[in-house]
Amino acid sequence: MKYESQGVAKLYFIAAIALFVGQILFGVTMGLQYVIGDFLFPEIPFNVARMVHTNLLIVWLLFGFMGSAYYLVPEEAERELFAPWLAKLMFWIFLVAGALTILSYLLVPYARLAELTMNDLLPTMGREFLEQPTITKIGIVIVALAFIFNIGMTVLTGRKTVINLVLLTGLVGLAVFFLFSFYNPDNLVMDKYFWWFVVHLWVEGVWELIMASLLAYVLIKVTGVDREVIEKWLYIIIAMALISGLVGTGHHFFWIGAPDYWQWLGSVFSALEPIPFFMMTLFAFNVVNKRRRDHPNKAAVLWALGTAVMAFLGAGVWGFLHTLAPVNYYTHGTQITAAHGHMAFYGAYVMVVLTMISYSMPIMRGQKAGNIKAQVVEMWSFWLMTISMVFITLFLTGAGIAQVYLQRYSDDPLPFMVVQEKIAIFYWLREAAGLVFLIGLILYIYSFFAKGKEVEFVEG
Amino acid sequence: MNAEELELKRASLSALASLLNLTVLPVIGFIFLLFLYKQTQAQTIGRYYAVLGIKINLAAAIALIIVTGLMLLLGGFYSPWTWVFVISYFVFVHALFILVATWILVRSWTGKKLTTTFL
Repeated sequence: MKYESQGVAKLYFIAAIALFVGQILFGVTMGLQYVIGDFLFPEIPFNVARMVHTNLLIVWLLFGFMGSAYYLVPEEAERELFAPWLAKLMFWIFLVAGALTILSYLLVPYARLAELTMNDLLPTMGREFLEQPTITKIGIVIVALAFIFNIGMTVLTGRKTVINLVLLTGLVGLAVFFLFSFYNPDNLVMDKYFWWFVVHLWVEGVWELIMASLLAYVLIKVTGVDREVIEKWLYIIIAMALISGLVGTGHHFFWIGAPDYWQWLGSVFSALEPIPFFMMTLFAFNVVNKRRRDHPNKAAVLWALGTAVMAFLGAGVWGFLHTLAPVNYYTHGTQITAAHGHMAFYGAYVMVVLTMISYSMPIMRGQKAGNIKAQVVEMWSFWLMTISMVFITLFLTGAGIAQVYLQRYSDDPLPFMVVQEKIAIFYWLREAAGLVFLIGLILYIYSFFAKGKEVEFVEG
Repeated sequence: MNAEELELKRASLSALASLLNLTVLPVIGFIFLLFLYKQTQAQTIGRYYAVLGIKINLAAAIALIIVTGLMLLLGGFYSPWTWVFVISYFVFVHALFILVATWILVRSWTGKKLTTTFL
């Protein structure tokens, strides 16, 4: 580790992995509730399990992004972190606030939680993914501001590279767009606009900048390819991501009561959204192909390549599948959306955080790369989690297509719950794939403790 | 442009034509690929990538014909299961053909043959 303060990242990564485990446990619980409706009812109702599953995802990815930034920025800026103590303090505040919020979801009825946290003073609760009590949201803003200040000061007073500037832009965007979650208009159309300004502009806007910069950083480190080459790719990728992603927000405006022109704008621009992901695949393949060294951390290289491929499939292909307005007219809010959501989040954001963890964790533990056994176990976990996610996506896609046909397209449409009964086989298969994913995650955690022969590092 | 550079250019153009045929320019991309094949010499990197492109595109075409045949034989256009299989095929298997073609394109830029042991 080049700078001591990079070690702060370890705290964030450990918390991220712990919350990831929680997310998957609630995922498999909920997967079972799809077919056994009263499983764990009334202790953990489906709506609560779903809220915990999605909120844990967001929180652990934020921990992952913050940890990645704390590791990456000092090295790129060639200086110690501006205030390591602030990073540690914010970690504990964020962890305690996050844990309390999740526990409150589980222990207190949501309406009562809104009362207890005085939501009526500044109502922000009740919207999907943004269910956090207002007080938690204020906490997130404080943590984000302190984080941006710390990272920003490190970048501004140190070496400025394309990677840390793109990362900083993405992180500032993440913080700024979250502020829309505090505006909760009475008009439902307006409400949806501002909700998507957070959700869409995060995952199909600024998070792509974060992802591209993290991937570029790891690829520079593991391949030894010239920074200039990677930076040129990065410029084109982020330009395409922003050009397509910003106006592409329109694909969420098709059926919310917005003007008709959004059906054209949303369709055309979101049809371009696979392009940056395709370029990321081309970029990762190209850089690994031109590598100047065989880095001993093969697991990190695998995660990096896997990120590019799975992001293209999940965000690009599965996004395009249902993004055109005439198609979305039938597919909106079906299991096809769930299929896309699962593979896109896993491929783009889960995998890029795991790539950073895979690269940096051995270094923070005093090694260049994990020992051979640890890497083998980690690669097994990669394949188990990735293949099972492919199957989860395929089963949900199958469920979604059957759902669209039976419920919305056929001459005699069937009611929602009748269709749910007919597609139960897909849910059972998805649950089995989810359990394999959990096994993969357990192996991933075990890889940090596996003992074995150390790897040798030969500079090419 | 010397002969080696010309073959390298043909190799990358063949890989690009193969990718285009699988994505935005079906048939036209394949005709361009056949045209490039005619221009290349035996035992050159250009010929290698033209042949590779033809093979992968033929494999994708055969897979498509089989899927279409199964669709008509097993369910017809009015069965939900037909659409489950056909759409799942397109978004997954055809996307994998595109990924393989992308990897071939990247390899062609280096002037080296395709290998599987890059990790």
